[in-house]
Parts: sequence; C-alpha cells; structure tokens
Amino acid sequence: MPKIYTWDQLFSRRQFIKGGVAAAALGAAAGSGLLHPKPGLGDARSTVASTLSGTKYVYTICEQCVWRCGVIARVENGVVRKLEGNPDHPNNAGKLCPRGNAGIETLYSPSRVKFPLIRAGARGSGLWRRASWDEALTYTAEQMKKIKDKYGAKAMIFNSTDNLSQPFFETLLKAYGTPNYGTQRSLCFNSMTTGFLYTYGVAQPGTDYANCNYMIFSGRNLAEGISNIETQEMIDMVARGAKVVVLDPRFTKTAAKAEWLPIRPGTDLAFFLALINVLVNEKLYDAKFVSQYTQGFDELTKEVATYTPQWAEVQTEIPAGTIRRIAREFAASAPAAIAHPNWRTSNFLNSFQAERAIAVLNALAGNWAKPGGLIPDQSINTAKLGTLPHPSYPAAVGMRLDGVPWQFPMVPLAYGVLQVMRDNILTGKPYQAKGWLISRQNPVLSIPERQKTINAIMKLDFIGVIDIMANDTAYYADVILPESSYLERYDGLVPIGDEIFIRQPVIKPLYDTKSSLMIYKELAVKLGLGDFLPYQDEKDLLVQELKPYTVSLEELERKGHYRVPNFKEDHSKDFAFQTSSGKIEIASGIMAQMGKKAVPTWEAPPKPGPDEFYLLTGKTAQHSQMFTQDNRWLLEIFPENKAWLHTTVAKKLGVKTDDMVIIESEVGKIRIKVYVTEGIRPDSVFMVGGFGHVSKGLHFAYGRGASDSALHKSLADPISGSSALSQTFVRVSKA
Amino acid sequence: MTVRMGFVIITSRCIDCDACMVACRAENEVPIGFTRNWVTDSGAVGKFPIVKQMFEPGNCMHCEKPSCLSVCPTGATYKRADGIVLVDDTKCIGCKYCIEACPYDARFLNPVTGKADKCTFCLQRLEQGLKPACVQTCLGKARHSGDLNDPESVVSKLLNRYPARQLSPDAGTRPNIYYIDVPVAEIPSGT
Amino acid sequence: MHTEVTWGLLIVVYLFTAGVSAGAMVASNAAFLLGGDRYERVARWGAYLAPFPIAFGTGVLLLDLGSPLNFYHLFMTLQYKSPMSWGSWAILLFTLLSLLYLYLWLPPRYQVGHVIKRVRAWKGGLAKGMPILAVSVASYTGVLLNAADRPLWQIALLPELFLVSAMSTGVAAVGVAVALSRRWRASHEEKLSLALVDIVLVGIELLIFGAMMIDSQIGTLNQQLAYAVLWTGSYAAAFWIMIMILGLVVPLILKIVEVRGRLPWKWNEWVGLGSSLLVLVGGFFVRYVITYAGQMTGWLR
Ligand code: SF4
Ligand code: SF4
Ligand code: SF4
Repeated sequence: MPKIYTWDQLFSRRQFIKGGVAAAALGAAAGSGLLHPKPGLGDARSTVASTLSGTKYVYTICEQCVWRCGVIARVENGVVRKLEGNPDHPNNAGKLCPRGNAGIETLYSPSRVKFPLIRAGARGSGLWRRASWDEALTYTAEQMKKIKDKYGAKAMIFNSTDNLSQPFFETLLKAYGTPNYGTQRSLCFNSMTTGFLYTYGVAQPGTDYANCNYMIFSGRNLAEGISNIETQEMIDMVARGAKVVVLDPRFTKTAAKAEWLPIRPGTDLAFFLALINVLVNEKLYDAKFVSQYTQGFDELTKEVATYTPQWAEVQTEIPAGTIRRIAREFAASAPAAIAHPNWRTSNFLNSFQAERAIAVLNALAGNWAKPGGLIPDQSINTAKLGTLPHPSYPAAVGMRLDGVPWQFPMVPLAYGVLQVMRDNILTGKPYQAKGWLISRQNPVLSIPERQKTINAIMKLDFIGVIDIMANDTAYYADVILPESSYLERYDGLVPIGDEIFIRQPVIKPLYDTKSSLMIYKELAVKLGLGDFLPYQDEKDLLVQELKPYTVSLEELERKGHYRVPNFKEDHSKDFAFQTSSGKIEIASGIMAQMGKKAVPTWEAPPKPGPDEFYLLTGKTAQHSQMFTQDNRWLLEIFPENKAWLHTTVAKKLGVKTDDMVIIESEVGKIRIKVYVTEGIRPDSVFMVGGFGHVSKGLHFAYGRGASDSALHKSLADPISGSSALSQTFVRVSKA
Repeated sequence: MTVRMGFVIITSRCIDCDACMVACRAENEVPIGFTRNWVTDSGAVGKFPIVKQMFEPGNCMHCEKPSCLSVCPTGATYKRADGIVLVDDTKCIGCKYCIEACPYDARFLNPVTGKADKCTFCLQRLEQGLKPACVQTCLGKARHSGDLNDPESVVSKLLNRYPARQLSPDAGTRPNIYYIDVPVAEIPSGT
Repeated sequence: MHTEVTWGLLIVVYLFTAGVSAGAMVASNAAFLLGGDRYERVARWGAYLAPFPIAFGTGVLLLDLGSPLNFYHLFMTLQYKSPMSWGSWAILLFTLLSLLYLYLWLPPRYQVGHVIKRVRAWKGGLAKGMPILAVSVASYTGVLLNAADRPLWQIALLPELFLVSAMSTGVAAVGVAVALSRRWRASHEEKLSLALVDIVLVGIELLIFGAMMIDSQIGTLNQQLAYAVLWTGSYAAAFWIMIMILGLVVPLILKIVEVRGRLPWKWNEWVGLGSSLLVLVGGFFVRYVITYAGQMTGWLR
C-alpha cells in the first residue's frame, strides 16, 4: 500500500527532504540563502564580491504572463538571484513588469508540485500519492486510450492557453484525433478578433503608438493590463502630449493619464456609432481612402443616420457635446488617430458589434498602414521556423462540443467557445465527453459559473493536468504531471520580426519535473503516437526548428537571440485584405450571407434591475490572469481583490473600505472586502479577476479575495462566441 | 566638485505598476513584509466623474542633513563622500532610533539581520556601473538616478529643464529626491 | 517603509523608569542636603529606590534592540549629536553612581570598614553632584524623542514636560515607599513636604500642557495636526482620561486635601498613597501617549 499524502503533508518541509532530487535542490537553495534572505545592508560589499565568483548571466524568455519579454537571469552558484529585462528584446526593451521581476519567487515557491501525483481519494479530497513519471504517464495514456477505444477520440477534450509549446500540444491533440480543443480565447478577445477579421481580414492589427496623436481606448487598460512594450509606448505617447480618451465605467490607472469618460456599461457600441455618425454627417472621413479600399459605405450612411450624439447620450450617459467634440478631434488627428481594437471592450453580448464599429471607424479615419494608425498583419514579416515532419493526422471525427460551427457558424475554428464546451460536458450533448487533458490552463477559475465547471469535472472518467503548481483545476484532477518552471526548461523558439529568441533553462530543474515539450512527447509515445512529435529531447527539437538558418543552438543559447540576415520586410500585401470582397468590409459579406445586418448596428444591452449593479471585471498590473496569485512577492504589492463601490453606494450600505460585503448574482454568491472610491460609476461594482482560489495546493493564494467567476453568468455571443463577462448583474449587501 | 548622488522621479510617468518594488526586493533580498521603496497612490481624488489620481514613488532620499544619521548613537549610519547614506551592520545595535527619526519612513528593522535597513542606492550595482534596480526596471521611465552635481547627468539635465519639488521640506533634512510632476516627453541622455 | 509602531511598550517603560529613578534621586538628594536628619527617611528611600527602575528599564530596552549582542557599541563611541549616545553614557554613569550612593546609605553593618569614616562627606558630594546627572537623565528622555524628526515630538516644551513629570513620579514613588515602609516610615512633616512638592510639580505640568494648548493654536500646520492627535484624535481618550483627569487633576485635588489635613488620620494616609499612585500612573501615560501618538504624526508631503 503506497503512502497517501494530503496537501499539507505534500508541502511540509519534511516532505521536500524525502523527495530525492528535490532534497538536493532545496538544500542548494536554502544553503545559499535564497529561502533565508541574507543580511541586506552592510552586506552590499560582500554581495559584490560574491557576484564576481560563480556568476553567470543567461538569456531567456519570461512566462509570468503571456507577453514573452526578453530576460537576462543572473545566476550565482546555481541560484537565480535576479531577473532583468533584455535591452535588445523588442517586447520589453530592457524592462520587466512587476510579475516578470517576481519570477524568482515562482521558481522557488513552496507551492510547486515536485513530483507526479496520482489521486488517492475522491476527486477534490486532496489525497494524493507520489508516482514515478513512468507510472503517471502510463496511467494517463491508459485512461486516454480507454476513452478512445470505448467512445471514440472525440470524447476526449484537450485544453491549453497561449504559450510557447502550445503548437506541440496541438500536434498531440491532432494526432490523438479529437475535434475538441479549448483555448482561453472566447473568454478573452473573440469579439475583437472576429470583429476585425470580418472587417479587415486581419484578426489583430497592431497600433503605431509612436506616431499616434489621438487614441481612444474602450477596453484596453495598458497601465493595469500590462503588455510590456505597449505599456511603455502608451506612457511615452501620453508624455508626448498625444490625446488619450478612455471609455470605462471605472477610473483605471490608464484613465488617470487620460480624459476619462465613465460610460454606462455595455454602451460603447452607441458611442462609436455616434462617432461614425458625426464623421459621416460632417464629412470628416477620409473620402479617398473609403472609396479606394472599402465597400458598404452607403449602407453605413443609412444605418448611422439615427445614431446621433444626442441619441448616444441617452444610451451612454456621455454628453452629446463631448461625443461630438471627440469625433471632431479624432477626425482632425486622422490618420494618426486610432480607436484601439482593445481586448474585450465592454464585455457584453453586443461587443462584437462594438468591435465592428471600432474597425469601421478606423477605416473612416483612413489610418490603415499609415504612421500613427493601424498596422497590418505582421506574421508575414516574421522569420519562419523549421517544421518537424510527421505522419498525416487522422481525421477528427465528430461534432465539436463547443458548438463551432454547428451552433456558432461564424466563430473561427481556432478560437472556439470554451464556456459552451463546459456546458456540453454537463448536458452530454451532442454526446458525452469522458476525458479532459489540460495543460497550463485553469478552467475552474476562468470559465464563468465556477460551480458548473467543478460539476462538469465530476462527470468525467478522467481528468489530467499539466502545470507547475496545483491550480484549482489540478486540485480536482486524477493525475498531475508537474511541469518545470519557465526558468528550468526549454520551450519552442519564438520568432519576432527578423529575430529568433530562445527560452532555455537558467538552472537545472529543482525537482522531479519535466518540460511540457517532453511531457507531450513521452505521453505521445505511450499513446503510440510518438512519430508525431519526432524529437529525442528539447535540444533536438530546437535544432530542427533552427534548420533553415546557419546559427547553431549553442550560439543561440549564448546570445539569446539570432537575427536572420538580409531579412526583407514585405509590405506588398498590406492592402490585400483577406475578406470575401478583398476590401475593408464596412458591410460584412459574411454577415450578409448569414442573413444579418451587414453594417454595424445598435443592439441594446440589458440593464440591471432597481437594486442591481453591473458587475465589472478587469486586471491589475501586479497579477496575471489566474496564475500569479500564489506569488508572495506579488502578494506584497497586491494582496487580494476588493469590490469597488462608489462612495454614495457604500454610504447607503453602511460600509467603508475593508468592510465585508456579500455579492450575489443569479448563479453564485461571494464574500469580499470593499474598496470605496469616487472612481467608479454608482451603478457598477468592480473586482479584479483571478482571486478566490479553491485549491489548497496554492498555499498563499488559497482563500484570498473572491472569484468573479463564481458570479459570472455563462453567456456566449452567437456571432463571435465571446463570453459576455460584464453582462452579469449583482446585488450587494452588508456582510 | 563633489559628487552628490540623488534621484529624480517623474510622477507624471508613473503608472503605479510597482515593478520597482519587486525589482528592489529581488536585488536586495528584502524580507517579505518590508520594502525599501514604495509607490503611494492618492486614489481617485475629487468627485465623480471629475477625478484625478497621482502616484508618487519614493525610497530613502539620501538627505543632505539626514536626521537618521544625527540620532544614531553608535555611528552605524553614515554618509559617504558621494552623499549615499548607509548603515554599517557591524555597528548597528537595532535601537530603531533612526527609523523613528526619518521623516520619510524610509527605514525598517530587518527581522533577519536585526539591523536598520533601507535603500542603499544599490551600491553593489553602482560599483559595476549599473543603475539601481528600481531605475533599471521602471516601466514608465519615471525613476532616474545619478550625480546631481554633474551637469552631464540625466538627473541634472531633467532638473534644468523642468520644475521640481522635494517632499516635506519642513522636516529640514534636505532630501536628495526631486519630483517632477509635469509631462516629460523625452528623457535626456546622460550618465 | 514601516507602518506599525516601531517604538512600543518596551520603550515607554524605559522612558518612564528612567524618569522615576531620576526623580527619586533628586528627592533623596534634596532631602539630604536641605532637610538633614528631619528628612532622613525620604533621603534614604530615595537612595534605595533610585538605581532599580532605571536598571530594569535598561534591561527592557535591551530586549527591544534588534541586535542586543551588539549593545556594547553604544559605549565604543560618543556621538554628541545623538541624544541616545550621550543619554546612554549619562544613564550608565547615573546607574553606577546611584549604586554607590545607595551603598553609602546602607546600614553600617553592610559597609566595608574604611569607607565608614568618610561616608557623610561622600554622601554630601554625591548629593550635590547627582541632581545634575538626574536632570540630564530625566530631560534626556524628552530630548530623545525631540530629536527624532516627528512633528509631535518636536514640540518645544517636550523635554521640560518629561523633566517635570519625571520629578513628580520620582517624588511620588518615594512617597509610596515611605508611606508603606515599616522601619523608615515617613514623619508627618516629610509626608506633607512630599505632597507639597508634588502639588507644585503637578501644577507645573498642568501649566506646561496649558502652554502646549496655546502653542497648538499658533504653530505650523504640521504642529497643529500633531497636537490634534492628542486633543481630539485617536489618543484623545487616553490623554484626557489617563493623563489629564486621573494623572493630574484628581491627584492634585487629593494632594491638596491631604495637605489641608481635615480628614481623619487613617483616611489621609490612603488619600496620600492613592494620589501618589495616580501620579505614577499619569506619568506612565504621559510617556505612553506621547510615544505612540508621536509615531502617528508625520510631515505633510
Ligand atoms: S509583461 Fe511582465 S510578465 Fe509579461 S512577459 Fe513581460 S515581464 Fe514577463
Ligand atoms: S530619507 Fe530617511 S533614512 Fe534616508 S537619509 Fe533621509 S532621513 Fe535618512
Ligand atoms: S516601476 Fe516605474 S512606473 Fe512602475 S510603479 Fe515604479 S516608478 Fe512607477
């Protein structure tokens, strides 16, 4: 009978020591004082002395969020001491955000899963036993095979979120043969990507901050949702005196640097329709550009006729005069003026229309491929990596559980609708899913209606999780395959423009963990699919990716990046729009085909009832999505999320900052501390997402703050599949 | 002319991301629960919807007339010729007098060492020709450091071009952090 | 950056005990020099008391240090600008000399032979010198806070306040001792004199607080805000109840009642004893409130 561990035992100090490899590694770390910080002050001199001996600097890539900044790690005698931005990296120009700076704490966190674990009690009981890699992988492969044999490959779902090794995970799922793949996209930016795709044929155009003179943000909060270099560029833009307008029901830190318009939630669409109205009526648009590159302008003229600033004032609660002024200012700055594509905009079901209106407004400004405007797709101007040969994939048989395309005909296959996939595990329609393999993702906390996700997990025959920590989904898993942290492993190479960057181990793995590249590979071998991932080890893979170039892997490792010589940027396709008409589609051909109105049109968002509030969600600069809340260095600067209430609302409830309130929606209920501020609309409540973890494996995050996903209703925009996270209304009462 | 090390902080460029605080923790192994530098947040000031918000980063001001130094009973706190105020751990008894005396609350008792602790201007980095960790990582290019007496330094150039203020001049310690609140479009090049 | 109180109860005890010792010493010296044999018991008890509170306080202070084993560094240097530096020297000297002084006051059988002959002369010499040291020690506790750059602690009258409060607590401590002692119980005259001295000291203390209140109306904004923590802020309750009422006004009234002597003898004993204890409580809270409230006050940015 193998020993059964609870979470507490698994993470007790004694247990580390028992853990073989882990013990040695921990000894090294503790002995060198990282876990017991050395004297900080008078030691300045001795620190200098020690840096001179046994110090090395290693280039790698950050993974404290998904932005991929260049990092130079300072390693002293095998201990990572400092992470610093790589000045030559285009994503961050030498700077790291708070999360990037805190990567060391992620590496040395006591919450790391140190060896493979197989569940030893009921799901979620927190009882585990230690397994060898061979046993854990064999177990996982057997479960997956069993499901495939009995129910077909389609009964198995694969989930992953944007990361460097994601392409190899996708290879595994294609080789296995399931049509069911869940990414974060529908919880994030589906409305933006589809909106722009159906207008420009480009899902995510860039924005030229450096030359832009007028920027309207309506769902991109760069000061708090940090995208390193973009955030830097935004700050420079503001300092340069460019005008920035922020539409947000909440006073964000970006709004603090801009003109803040506290718009009524869900009505960004009306605001942009009114801007279009003014541009059209006052002939402020770029007529030459519109006639040359767009189609559908006349239809637009008709549609927006009634969307006057006065009309929009009623919807948005922004004065008509302000709307008109902004329209004129925007047009005056065009083409160096951008209505930013954003990320989630207002996060309502009408967000797809809002994104379409934004896309069209940019077209009217004629800012495409102009200095200070939108930047066309850059993937064509990106160095191409060598590919790995593999047998042809089996056909993925069966309908997709996320309803694409049979329920969501317009959602691109690559994006999917994650929340619907979860719902269909529960409903068993159109068939019953049986297994779930999740890599670097945490659906329990990210998908709306947390309880439903947990219920869905309980219905499955098998659930396996690959991650560095026991996140909330891993907590309910049957097996946890522990991944090495980003400072201990290789991942696939990253080409950016004419350069290729590498993530490489800064130190050897501290524990009995593997890179996901090897986990996928070894799992594939056990599944009899080894040929699809044809590499011996990570280095072998990287060498194959580097095949087209003369550089050796060793040199790339030493320098951190490689610049492809004589790389020519190709701008010949900048105006070859990948739409059905080949033009910028103000009137979308696909929308028309689907029998919908082809131009952006008003869809009234629902309003909260008399005692209800809008529930807004958003980011903080100090944490990334759901996966940094256990990092103690970050908890020092952002310890928990609080519910923002306007002063008048707090007064009515009789609460002050740090008092507890209960927030209730149709689907759930949370307790959370209050933050009282003048910086939010009185009809709204705001909370940062990512807190309220339920996994006891997350020592420092467990029980901190509350989760917005416990309150969110599951809604999916029928066009883009986007989850309308802010279309949930709540009641607030004193706890 | 003597060297006078100090900081210039451009509040208008700070977004309160706190990267500077984490970078300092890593560089100087500052124990959890304490910090050598900070960013204060005014919160939304005013009445909805006309509000504004200010972020003010700070750390030890390496004062000209440091009150921490004059109260230190053992001579552990000292000021170097270049103006950097430091604590000599071998002499510090941990009486916390300097912590009380600092008008900027820049010091704390380090529970690991039992000594007064504070910003050291990242001396170990200066000696290698690097900027302090907070300055190096600052996302907004809000924090700058250098020799206030050297006309070629970034800090001097900034102070030449823009109006600046000091914190709590009433406290009388003549702090060496200068704050610029107006927009600064371009950071001058300099040492 | 720190947010909680840095100097806590241990420091308060240190400041308080140093004051009690200094006050007891001065009471003893004065009784010896001015009162001669008629005030022998006061002088004796003052001498017996003086070394101990301050020694205890110094021990407590050691506990408060971050690096107690480094303590000796205090005495490797004299930092003339640092009150704590010269204050520590003063306290060291005071403690040593007060022990010598105590020794001289011990009954002869405890004393080594050859000392005896010159005891009186030495006593006299010490009694003349010690008040200077005692006043230094007592005002040091005020100057200590004064030098730390905090608005409330920079109030001009703080050293004076601490000095007077030290004297009154020292006198009160001696008063308690002589009232309870079996062997060297105070005479009626001694008790009256002690009470009178306390009346004067408590009176002066009240005057100092009065002056502070006037100051708080005319000072800088920084000072006004600092004072406000005492008068109306979070330490107002402690200030008004523990210091002003229980620590000053009530004992003042009781002492006056005691001096006027209209009450039955037994009651008068209790009134005297009780009022002295209240003076001690009040003195403790003067240190407590000023130390804690001072840490709440900072400079306007
Ligand atoms: S933005 Fe921050 S977390 Fe993201 S990659 Fe860059 S440094 Fe890392
Ligand atoms: S800021 Fe404080 S710690 Fe730094 S030199 Fe000035 S008084 Fe001393
Ligand atoms: S790193 Fe720079 S921008 Fe960020 S909080 Fe610190 S000073 Fe402000």
